[in-house]
Amino acid sequence: MKRDCPSLLAVLTVSLLVNIFLRSQSAYWPRAGAATALVCVPLLAGVGYCFSAAWRCGASSLARIGFAILLLGTSALELLQFWQMFQRLYPGAASLTVVCLTVLLPVLYLRRVSALSQTAHVVLCLLLLGTGFLLLTVLPLLHFTNLQPVVLQEKDYAAAANAQLTLYPEYLLPALWPPRGREPRWTRLRLSAIALWSDVGLHLVLELFYGAALPQRTDPIHAVARSGALSIFNRLESAQLILWIMALTLKLALYLYAMSLLLLHRPQSETSVQLRHFPLYFGGLWFLCLLLRKIDITRAMQLRNTATWLFALWIGMGGAAAWLCRKIRRGC
Amino acid sequence: MQDTKISRSLSQNLQYLRLSFGASGDFYAKELTICGVPCAIVMFTGLSSPEKLCHLALDLLDHDLFFPDGSEGLCDYLLTQSRAPSEPRPVSDWETFIEMISNGMSLLLIDGCSRAVVFSTQEMPQRSVGTPTGEGNMRGSQEAFTELLRNNLSLLRRQFRSGTLVAEIATAKTRAKTEYCLCYDRLLAPKETIDALRKQLAEIELPVLLDSAYFASFLKQDKLNLFPAAAYTERPATACARLCEGKAVVLVSGCPYALIVPSFFAEHFECLDDYASGAVFSGLIRLLKYTAFFLAVFGPGFYVMAVSFTPEIIPIQLLTTLAQAERATPLPPMLEMLGVTLLLEIVREAGLRAPQSISHTVSLVGALILGETAVSAGIVSIPILTMAAAATVATLAVPSLYEQTILFRFAVILLTGCFGVLGLACSALVILAMACGSEPFGYDYLYPLMPLTRITWRDGFVRSIWSRLARQGEVIGRHEA
Repeated sequence: MKRDCPSLLAVLTVSLLVNIFLRSQSAYWPRAGAATALVCVPLLAGVGYCFSAAWRCGASSLARIGFAILLLGTSALELLQFWQMFQRLYPGAASLTVVCLTVLLPVLYLRRVSALSQTAHVVLCLLLLGTGFLLLTVLPLLHFTNLQPVVLQEKDYAAAANAQLTLYPEYLLPALWPPRGREPRWTRLRLSAIALWSDVGLHLVLELFYGAALPQRTDPIHAVARSGALSIFNRLESAQLILWIMALTLKLALYLYAMSLLLLHRPQSETSVQLRHFPLYFGGLWFLCLLLRKIDITRAMQLRNTATWLFALWIGMGGAAAWLCRKIRRGC
Repeated sequence: MQDTKISRSLSQNLQYLRLSFGASGDFYAKELTICGVPCAIVMFTGLSSPEKLCHLALDLLDHDLFFPDGSEGLCDYLLTQSRAPSEPRPVSDWETFIEMISNGMSLLLIDGCSRAVVFSTQEMPQRSVGTPTGEGNMRGSQEAFTELLRNNLSLLRRQFRSGTLVAEIATAKTRAKTEYCLCYDRLLAPKETIDALRKQLAEIELPVLLDSAYFASFLKQDKLNLFPAAAYTERPATACARLCEGKAVVLVSGCPYALIVPSFFAEHFECLDDYASGAVFSGLIRLLKYTAFFLAVFGPGFYVMAVSFTPEIIPIQLLTTLAQAERATPLPPMLEMLGVTLLLEIVREAGLRAPQSISHTVSLVGALILGETAVSAGIVSIPILTMAAAATVATLAVPSLYEQTILFRFAVILLTGCFGVLGLACSALVILAMACGSEPFGYDYLYPLMPLTRITWRDGFVRSIWSRLARQGEVIGRHEA
């Protein structure tokens, strides 16, 4: 019951699940996804381990600033992606400023690591319950006859691998925190397994729901939630949306904590983000969102993915070079 | 007479006291001779009893056969040999002297001696031990704390008859020098928690300390967090139960409410009756209380969101009724709900503060006439009034979280009224993050509800049967030990 070493596994999991729930387009057929996940799970975990090892070899100030910029950019893109989705679902219901305000306001109370960790546990429980509830409400609409019997082509596997090999910053973030006492083992492997298999599972539900129309649907999960009915309640998607917004806020709070760790080298930054940095954070992110509001979000996300891979590669190479130098010096 | 030490001269000492308290009507000083030595007895008549002093001390002295030699001899004789019930330690400085006399003691000043002998002759007017007024329970002890610290301590010790109970009395850094007492079980309470609490209490500086709740704000780690860092009780039985869980109880002189630290969220949904009733029934009642809390906080806001932004979630049969009711009123649902909730709060406040003879009238006028006429005049719709009334009643199911519930309710109504689904998500996460972010002395505020463990079902959302509870009583320091 004492909060000595709060684990951040729950918040990393929630953060990765956001990418699944708020996706605007289904990416692959579940059979292809299940096959590629067998390779992609260890691959992503391996990248995470290598990055951590290389980062701990001694990350330069430039690398720290680069990672912080990547996180800031990702935060802005996540907000914009959500805003665009909200605009599609409820046209004219909320401006970008309102979305920024309502999503970012709770971050103020998530500035402590312990609060972040504990809230993530609760939100994760609620997300699981919410997803179970969602499945329950649409159960009569899931048909096994919707499963596509066509033989999968090479391009289907390529599409699945392409979608699954998106390197989200969550896989790299564990390298930043100081070692904690009760950190669960195989963090990155667990993370990638949970994220990819949940994605495959949800794609299966979508295929059972949409059948052959799966690739054409925009905001497919929200549309499924919209079809859910329970007793006299015919539309329950708002309940799901509330949970997804909560998860998105947690993701942004996690990024903020990581940014404060990267940019401020103070002991207190390890446990919480200082309150005085919030006006700058809110203002900066809001301004960035306004600046990028007309951007093509799909292309921007692809660009972010490329940048993350390149960044991981750069750090990996730097770490390998540092390790080699150390070996050579010891040999001399 | 600027010296803080008591002088050897009786006349100088009396002059100092007359200068300090001479204008006070309750100051009593009487010069007398004991064993041939000039002395003076001083006290405050409202706090000490001259009759009691006469019976206890002076009569005894008259009958004493031994006559000590000189002033110092008399003082030593009174302190060590005489049967007169004097305190074991004499007073030699004015600060302690004033503290003692203010506590209701009688002090004997002896000419030629720089020490004063203290007699415990307190006889203060006090309220007798009554029944709790703000913590209703059907079963268990019906005693309540009173304003006197020593009485409260004795009430607590009568319930907790163990040698491990420690009661540390200290004086707060206030102008009025109010006393407080830190009570804990030295075997169960975690040492670091008690040390931290003792240090924090000792450092608190206040102009005045009239209630144990004054301490609570200082014990909060995050001042932006609205959840309380401490719980309160007026029942010695509840305080005793918390002591058994390894928590600390702080009693403040003049306050009939004990402060309990650390306090957890789940405690607000527990009461003594839970453990006296059957496990199934008390589990049901607890779940009802959680539901009531959620209804009180989110009910009105959810209604505003559903009516204004997401009518699709309302069943079609109900939607027609609500639409008709809302069409008949001029204000938007958010303003209507805010107005009604504010009005209910005003009625409650007026009923609470008004003299008892007219408080019922105020409540009746507010609830019946205002509500009825507002609906008849078409200012407020019936569904709004129903929801606001239901939320207000639900608030009273968890009275210890009353302040928080009201504040959260207003915030939820405002945010959902302005931003709809986004506002509800924002407010829900803010409240959740506040609950999760609260760390009373480093402990999880949501313990034992979160993270979900076996304890959650043993004594959390519901309670287990006594035979299981008794096997392993929950103590906060156990896991650290």
